[in-house]
Amino acid sequence: MTLVRHVEIMEKLEAYALGQLPEQDRRDVDAHLDACAVCTRELDALNTVLAGIGESVPAKTPPPALRSRVLEAIAKEPQDRPAPVPIAPARQPRRIQWALASLGVAAALLLAVGLLAFRSEQSRRQLAADVSQLQERNAELVERVQRYNGQADLALSILTAGDMREIPLTGQQNAANTAARAYWSPERGLLVVADRLPAAPPGRIYQVWVIENKVPISAGLLDNESPGRGMLIVTPPRPGAGGMVTVAVSDEPPGGREAPSGSIHLLGSI
Amino acid sequence: MDADVDVVMRVAAGDRDAVAELYDRHASRVLGLAYRIVQNSSDAEDVVQEVFSQAWRTAQAYRATRGTVAGWLLMMARTRAIDRVRSRQARPASVGDDHLDAVPSDSPTVPDQLIATEQAVQVREAMLELPADQRTALELAYFEGLTHTEIAERLRTPLGTVKTRIRSALSALRRSVRS
Repeated sequence: MTLVRHVEIMEKLEAYALGQLPEQDRRDVDAHLDACAVCTRELDALNTVLAGIGESVPAKTPPPALRSRVLEAIAKEPQDRPAPVPIAPARQPRRIQWALASLGVAAALLLAVGLLAFRSEQSRRQLAADVSQLQERNAELVERVQRYNGQADLALSILTAGDMREIPLTGQQNAANTAARAYWSPERGLLVVADRLPAAPPGRIYQVWVIENKVPISAGLLDNESPGRGMLIVTPPRPGAGGMVTVAVSDEPPGGREAPSGSIHLLGSI
Repeated sequence: MDADVDVVMRVAAGDRDAVAELYDRHASRVLGLAYRIVQNSSDAEDVVQEVFSQAWRTAQAYRATRGTVAGWLLMMARTRAIDRVRSRQARPASVGDDHLDAVPSDSPTVPDQLIATEQAVQVREAMLELPADQRTALELAYFEGLTHTEIAERLRTPLGTVKTRIRSALSALRRSVRS
């Protein structure tokens, strides 16, 4: 699924839910929905609202004869055949599972003992190297604190902006359990935070995109130095057009790209 | 388990008595919506019959994770009612077509608080709070089944404006349901 394609479909979901799409477009959306959890959730939310509009219309007591008419009609009618249920693969016999489990425990014990021995030798040798590294790192940390202070100011100004909109981001693929949100102020900038974010695929980094009018603009690289965390705080990548905004995170080669080319990991629109 | 879902599962299993139960629980709401769209009692009652037949035939396809039973029935009612209005518009007018209503418009309705879900109440309140131009555009899309282009023509408003109005209206309603 490409990002551009996803955004194209997302734009059509309202018309789809309202039953306004021509046949071909409707089939396109159907095909995309089969593969896209974000659009499926978006559609469910739209359907909930549309159902609410239907339910908000005053009810009307049906005439008594209508009930018998309905029941007579279905008495003659057969039901549609259900779709065939896929057959689940047979489970492994319990005894084999036990054998595999105990093998696993033994292997894990061996691995742990080995790792501990390796670690203690390693830490002794590293202690000396660490002292000099610590001093270097201290300087680096001071610089970083200064940078973070600047970023914290920007984050605060984004979060308190009058035009700030909160965009929940939904994890895709390996990031299904990631909790992430974007805070978008067209005037002040973009703040993206992610928790339980898996590391980017080997040799790749996470890049953040803001998409308006189907054009993705890079908002920068997602900082995920702390394991499982991701953060980006930037001034607006460009002036907001005021319409639908999509924020996406894709994996890209180091340094990032001009336009998204890798898989999408986080996605949300408002 | 939700009592509605339980009824639909029995319908799916081929229990015709469960259809009667489904009807008793939801017919007034389905009729209310159908009537709002087709604007005459005879067509609205036909829609009700079609909806419950369709529910009987396709109950196996109902997925509770995708929405409430009421939502499922009302979606069918809306589609069928709009189809009916469209086919009525497509054929030449005949006597009877414009007879709005054998039933007077102030005919007794089931008190809303007895049947409307909390969500429906939230949506209705949010609808009333929408700016008039947004509400009109959304109502034309929902109750008359007009496409964005048709709404733009009807309101003599640029297509982009119509799209924005509908999108803003739906976003506002979503926020009302969420909060």
